[in-house]
Amino acid sequence: MSDAGAPGPIIQVTDVVKLYDDGLVRALDGVTMSAARGEFLAVTGPSGCGKSTLLQLIAALDRPTSGSIVVEGRDLREAGNDTYRRTGIGLVFQLHNLLPNLTALQNIEVAMFSNGHSHGEQRTRARELLDAVGLGAKEKVTPPRLSGGERQRLAIARALANRPPILLADEPTGSLDSAAVDRVLELFREIREREGVTLLLVTHDAHVASTADRIVYMRDGKIVAAPEADVPAAAPAP
Amino acid sequence: MPFLALITRNVLTRRVRAGLTGLAVAMAIMTVVALGVLTHSLRRTAISVLQTGSADFTVAQKGVSDVLYSSLDNSQVARIKAEPGIQSIVGVLVAAIKLDSSHPFFLELGIPPDELAPFGVQILKGRPYTATATNEVMLGWRASQDLHKNVGDVINIDGNNFTVVGIYSVGNVFGDSASMLPLTTLQTNERKPGNVTLAFVKVTPGTNIDALRKRIEQANPEVATVRTQSEFGRVDRNLSLISAANVGITIMALIIGAIGVMNTMVMSVFERTREFGVLRAVGWTRARVLALVMGEALLISFVGAMAGVVLGYLAIRGIQRVPELVGVFQPDYTSAIFARALGIAFGMAFFGALYPAIRAALLVPMEALRHE
Repeated sequence: MSDAGAPGPIIQVTDVVKLYDDGLVRALDGVTMSAARGEFLAVTGPSGCGKSTLLQLIAALDRPTSGSIVVEGRDLREAGNDTYRRTGIGLVFQLHNLLPNLTALQNIEVAMFSNGHSHGEQRTRARELLDAVGLGAKEKVTPPRLSGGERQRLAIARALANRPPILLADEPTGSLDSAAVDRVLELFREIREREGVTLLLVTHDAHVASTADRIVYMRDGKIVAAPEADVPAAAPAP
Repeated sequence: MPFLALITRNVLTRRVRAGLTGLAVAMAIMTVVALGVLTHSLRRTAISVLQTGSADFTVAQKGVSDVLYSSLDNSQVARIKAEPGIQSIVGVLVAAIKLDSSHPFFLELGIPPDELAPFGVQILKGRPYTATATNEVMLGWRASQDLHKNVGDVINIDGNNFTVVGIYSVGNVFGDSASMLPLTTLQTNERKPGNVTLAFVKVTPGTNIDALRKRIEQANPEVATVRTQSEFGRVDRNLSLISAANVGITIMALIIGAIGVMNTMVMSVFERTREFGVLRAVGWTRARVLALVMGEALLISFVGAMAGVVLGYLAIRGIQRVPELVGVFQPDYTSAIFARALGIAFGMAFFGALYPAIRAALLVPMEALRHE
């Protein structure tokens, strides 16, 4: 059940615990947080603090041990997360996770299978996204022949293929040089303006986190400051 | 991007492996096609001897390893002839000899000359032999062409010189690749006086053929009657064994091909674990992942099957040149054989890809994405 467009948080995480190795590893320990529609939220903290695990649970790539995650009114514990992953969110990984044997255009199209649009419409949308991320001239180039920054921009384009209301990015600038980082952050800003997406970005980079509307700090699987006490971003997103 | 285009692209990305798997499928299909055509054609050729002429059914000795080893004596033929409902019965002696190194399997048919017309023999050139001639022979038109012998020529058969007095046709490969000579002459030469190999029965109109056959078999438990191709095994165990071997080899080919496909697809799925994780992460359903892996296996098998059909055809062309088969093996390419080959290729793909496809579909996205 979805109540897209309704007031209230678009993402609501409540008392989520995630255990690994038969409970020996407590990756998340009672995490509660939320994100408002259209917000740019950065989750940051040291390595191993659980921020990537949190993003993976919100992306329905894994299930929490306990607690609930509700996105647009839909409890992710319900079955049928394929559709949610296809149309409810867009995912950007640190290592791009592009398919090396497909061209840039095909990497975007492959995310649009089963979205109900014709092949022609899918191709038009893929080209539109490639233009948007500055790769319009490289639609026939395969990922191994793109630079790191270009690959990440292509990954962002793929994440937006099905016009998701939420974009989840896990260390999207982690493998980029500073110029490429700035280009990707600029791209996120443009996307928010154009697509109106909610952006949840996991990063350990304070500079990247500082570009968000709001920052959530994590340590040892917990949010170290209550949501209402989150430190506002140094500079609001433009 | 159409789904089929993605399947094709993925297969072409791993050309060498896909090619080798396709080759394995092709070899299996080649075996299936070649053996299928061979056994079917041999069976057709062999059955044609029983269907020579205008007989309603044929009588032979029961359970012999090869129909040519069948032996019926005069008393048996006479007993059968006494059954009500029989219009005529023609006893034919069949002998196989080595003519020369190029014709190691040449057939002689011994038939009384007055039975030639009822038996369905059409004289194309010359005349029939006489009933008591010891040095006259007729050649089937195929044999005439193959041996380059015509009316008036002399041919040495098994150490005896015969004059070709006629060229005939019976309308099937088996008969037209053979020779015919007086029954008594052949019985003498073969030291089988009073014996024939087969008896061809024509019934009187209105007779219940199946009831008559049943009566004959009950009265003569040492003989079997044959009316259809499927009954041929009753009088020729060799061909039944070849057919059984063909089925066995087909099953083996299916299993070997399926293992080859499975090996390739398991390797592919293992190597592409992260890729499947990505596809699941961007919203692909398990069913679509399953269809992708199945589709790739099907494409490889289909291309392999096409190559296998071509190789099978070439193999048959080669088998045709085997001297022992010249004259008795005319390939009969039936659609059923090719349909079976395609079915087996589909089976290889399905059974070979089932496990890896399920494995790929059941991957947990997060674990797959962590795979190195």
